[in-house]
Amino acid sequence: MTLPLIASAIRLTVPILLAALGGVFSERGGVVNIALEGTMIIGTFFGALGAYHYGPLAGALCAILAGAGFALIHAVVTVTFRVDQIISGVALNLLAVGLARFLNLLIFGVATQSPGVSGFPQLSVPGLAGIPALASLTTGISPLIPVTLLLVLGGQWLLLRTTFGLRLRAVGENPRAAESLGIAVYRMRYAGVLISGALAGLAGGYLALEQAHFYLEGMTQGLGFIALAAVIFGNWWPTGALGAALLFGFFDALSLRVVASAIPYQFVQSLPYVVTILVLAGFVGRSTPPAADGVPYTRGETG
Amino acid sequence: MLGRPGRARPDRRWAAAATGGATGMTASPLLELRGITKRFPGVIANDGVSFGVRAGEIHALVGENGAGKTTLMNVLYGLYQPDEGQIMWRGTPVTLPSPRAALELGIGMVHQHFMLIPRFTVVENIILGAEPARSAVIDFAEARARIRQSSTQYGFGLQPDARVETLSVGEQQQVEILKVLYRGAELLILDEPTAVLVPQEVADLFANLRRLREQGRTIIFISHKLDEVLEIADRITVLRRGRVIGTTSAATATKSTLAEMMVGRPVLMHLGRPEVAPGPVRLEVQRLWVLGSTGRPRVRDISVEVHSGEIYALAGVEGNGQTEFVEAIVGLRPVQGGRVLLAGKDITVFDVERRRALGLAYIPEDRQLRGLVLPMNVAENLILGHQGREVFLDGPLLNERAVDAFAAECVTNYDVRVRSITTPALVMSGGNQQKVVVAREFAFAPTALVAAQPTRGLDIGASEFVYAKLLQAKAEGLAVLLVSADLDEVFTLADRIGVVFNGELVAQFGRGQVDAAELGVCMTGGRRSPGQVS
Amino acid sequence: MSRRARIALLQVAAPVLAVLFGVLISSTIILAIHQNPLSVFSLIVTFNLRPSSVASILTSATPLIFAGLATAFGFRVNIFNIGVEGQYYVGGFLAALAGFAVHGLPGVLHVPLIILTAAVGGMAWAWLPAYLRRQRGAHEVITTIMMNYIAFNIILYVLSLVRDRHLGGTARIRTPLFPPSALIPHLAPPLNALGLPIPLYSPLNWFLVGAVLLALAAWFWLRRSRFGYETKAVALNPAAAEAGGIKVARVQFVMFMLSGAVAGLVGLSDMLGRTGYFDIDFPKGLGFLGISVALLARNDPLGIIAAAVLFGYLDRGAEGVQTFASVPREVITILQALIILAIVVVYEVMTRYIRTLRKGEAA
Repeated sequence: MTLPLIASAIRLTVPILLAALGGVFSERGGVVNIALEGTMIIGTFFGALGAYHYGPLAGALCAILAGAGFALIHAVVTVTFRVDQIISGVALNLLAVGLARFLNLLIFGVATQSPGVSGFPQLSVPGLAGIPALASLTTGISPLIPVTLLLVLGGQWLLLRTTFGLRLRAVGENPRAAESLGIAVYRMRYAGVLISGALAGLAGGYLALEQAHFYLEGMTQGLGFIALAAVIFGNWWPTGALGAALLFGFFDALSLRVVASAIPYQFVQSLPYVVTILVLAGFVGRSTPPAADGVPYTRGETG
Repeated sequence: MLGRPGRARPDRRWAAAATGGATGMTASPLLELRGITKRFPGVIANDGVSFGVRAGEIHALVGENGAGKTTLMNVLYGLYQPDEGQIMWRGTPVTLPSPRAALELGIGMVHQHFMLIPRFTVVENIILGAEPARSAVIDFAEARARIRQSSTQYGFGLQPDARVETLSVGEQQQVEILKVLYRGAELLILDEPTAVLVPQEVADLFANLRRLREQGRTIIFISHKLDEVLEIADRITVLRRGRVIGTTSAATATKSTLAEMMVGRPVLMHLGRPEVAPGPVRLEVQRLWVLGSTGRPRVRDISVEVHSGEIYALAGVEGNGQTEFVEAIVGLRPVQGGRVLLAGKDITVFDVERRRALGLAYIPEDRQLRGLVLPMNVAENLILGHQGREVFLDGPLLNERAVDAFAAECVTNYDVRVRSITTPALVMSGGNQQKVVVAREFAFAPTALVAAQPTRGLDIGASEFVYAKLLQAKAEGLAVLLVSADLDEVFTLADRIGVVFNGELVAQFGRGQVDAAELGVCMTGGRRSPGQVS
Repeated sequence: MSRRARIALLQVAAPVLAVLFGVLISSTIILAIHQNPLSVFSLIVTFNLRPSSVASILTSATPLIFAGLATAFGFRVNIFNIGVEGQYYVGGFLAALAGFAVHGLPGVLHVPLIILTAAVGGMAWAWLPAYLRRQRGAHEVITTIMMNYIAFNIILYVLSLVRDRHLGGTARIRTPLFPPSALIPHLAPPLNALGLPIPLYSPLNWFLVGAVLLALAAWFWLRRSRFGYETKAVALNPAAAEAGGIKVARVQFVMFMLSGAVAGLVGLSDMLGRTGYFDIDFPKGLGFLGISVALLARNDPLGIIAAAVLFGYLDRGAEGVQTFASVPREVITILQALIILAIVVVYEVMTRYIRTLRKGEAA
């Protein structure tokens, strides 16, 4: 295994991981969000838009806000109106495609791509940056990479150790019980969904700002669904999603490098999906979703 | 059911005296309801309910299913808002817009269906919503210490870090109670707390409740089990059809006076019991073993024979394997060992469809869950389970005319009060819903019927209707296996009685060979009559 | 009486309300780009009345009917087959193999063979999620999504193996052309003979008739047959259905397989009626549109025809406004998505309201 491969795997892991982390928050609160893909698409466009006008930081913030705003629709439809979460997610994925095309056309004059934008200044690991052999790992690091790592660790801590985390998990396990203890179920679910939107939006922003340096239609390439897979494979925990996303990022990096080799890269690219099916079928590992994941909750219908 | 000798207990008299003695004295109640009315579309669940609960008493609220007890408690707990009336707490009027408001006032509820999160630990379950925290970071060390301390104080043996899913039902209930106490509740509402407990756990619960009373807590104990109410309560308020019938001191009440208040007339039912000579064995269960959902045996080696023209009642406290037993007989649950025979034919491995085709009828214990497809209409529900019968088929298609004719006949013969056969079952009353189930299961001359808790939740009129139909079918030669937790029902209907405890058949009696007291002892595992078990 | 009338009225009003809501939001968007919504929508209406537009609408509706039916077959027994997308891709690809590899068959045999292959292909791709749900309890939403991506990847690879090498080094990777026996006749000639002025270049073909017939058959079958009755019971209360002797898992499995089989047919009208080969531009996204169509129609097969035509109508209208009013067609894509969101919300609210009304009726 070469260092450039590892570096590339890490870069490819970040968007999966950010979106998966979002998925963890949403599903821990009991709302399945298969609109992660669509939210990422929104993030890619708004990331590029913000960065084009005001620079990378604004781009990232735009992506986060737009993602959260987009997820707000999901929250209203599924939490307030209790519509099936899968259905809402499907509709939002369609909406995202149309919306991104429309807005891009409106603002940049063409349907499918934005002008180039500059990303964040890249970081180097102090002290190690000078060693040429390690250059691929120690230089040219997007600042969003350490940020993502912090978000994962912080997310794990948040879910396990804080009142917010405990209540969010309670709402995803047994909303009726949570409500009986005075917890505002809808508010918690909104929070989970909005966090997922913000993180998925940032994931999209990362793609536009840090990888491609512009917005291109379809640049998410189904990463949102891979993120969904990482949520499951990671057993609905941030650190689990980290492991899963690293694995999937590695497959992805590998697939880019085996073009010339004997294994068709399409097979390597399919591995995350195959692994997820095996996990779901109980052949590999164990994964248990939150008990009320995907179940609409109606306030105050006890007895 | 749990009748214990020696009802005069000094501690209760003492408590009654300390809080003002008999009804009518002037001690201001801790909680007072004044004219509470709560309506749902088409129903008045609570109709001008008024009563008071004194500090430091155990106040029982009794009534049949559907009398409005649970609605009333949800009003008290802030889940429902009353349409009329006033709630007084310590003499001042209060509104309870949410459970949180009730909790802050000091009212805590232990729900019948536990409000626990199985995958959370004991400590997580208890502190949820009231976490000891410093700027949103939970102080687990303090939480553990507090829980350990109160667990010891009330004689619970709970480990703070145990996952709730690994606890017994009794322990889970302790978690529920601790949850409420942890929030500083002065008034605990327990909704049917004994429904899910085995007798030893009930005894433990009662001991805990008495200890709580000694420490000054007030308890509302909701139940429809009169023996338990008489044993534990200081005062008893009876609800019927959403109204308060009266409040009485437990010291002066008897089971029969309470029962009369609950149902409005003496419960003794005088149904013409047709005496028929039992015919050949129609339903035979041989050494049946069935596993429960957890993978442990829930039915252990039960053998039963039911003859044509006989009602065999399997009596027992709920949760002693009856559900699994019934589901195994009708084909909804695989059998671990043993055989089931219908009219001499081994049907052990047959699927539900084949068993039904051979004449095995089934009245499920939960009519809304297993018995009916609520959104479907009356006609569609009436053919459920008969949809494969020749008469309803026209090749692969359903013969709608035949279905409608059958449905119309059922509606007439069973007096189903419904506007049309295209009305969804959803909108019918419980009694009418059960009539649909009964009509369906008695159709096409079944060989044997398994009836699980057939009158649960029905009013007296509907219950009597079901009893009459069961007795009539028996007279016509049906073999009926009745599974019931209601002793009155068992004595009214049964020709023979078997008692199930902890998955085993512990006793068997002929009609007239046993009285309620003895049956009660057997049902709680107090005695076995091995000689009489076949 | 008035209650019943109100219930009936509501059921009709819901989809209309949803469409109106979608139109309202789109109007706002159109206003935002300084156009007049009224003239845009009236342009859609007049443009869509042209014979060429009618042909185009029906052409777009054809695969959507299949996709809607495929999704609805799953939905009707609480199976969320999000994998129609992958299933029609696999069905279409296998059908293409049967299309170009088989020579010398007459059309009356070749086309049915292709259709059968497509159905089997779609069913095969649905089999694994169906099996895993039945045997291992794996939720079909996620497994079918994963199967979609596996399908795209594998087909991309296999396509590179069977590609038409005569095309040399061009970027267009596609299968060899099908022989004429594999193509489906167009509807324009017979319709012209009947006096309907459909342009002769229109790829509208007999798959439209097939789709409508299939929808009618499904409607009748689900409504009148014993099996249809059983699917209803399974959907509304599996526990009671089970107690009534219905094999719930089996009914769901059968419907899942039927869903896959119909999904296999989604791409055929385009492939056999227009292109005559399978390539990387094989239309994508029809499976997801099928979900929308099924939702709009509340899984009713006849409603699916109407919903598919509506979507075709909007698609064609989008072309019209793009060409003649320079309103980006994406406005219409957004409109479609909004209609779906609105419809699910309206249905949900309405269902609850009707339930309350009915409770009142009983008392």
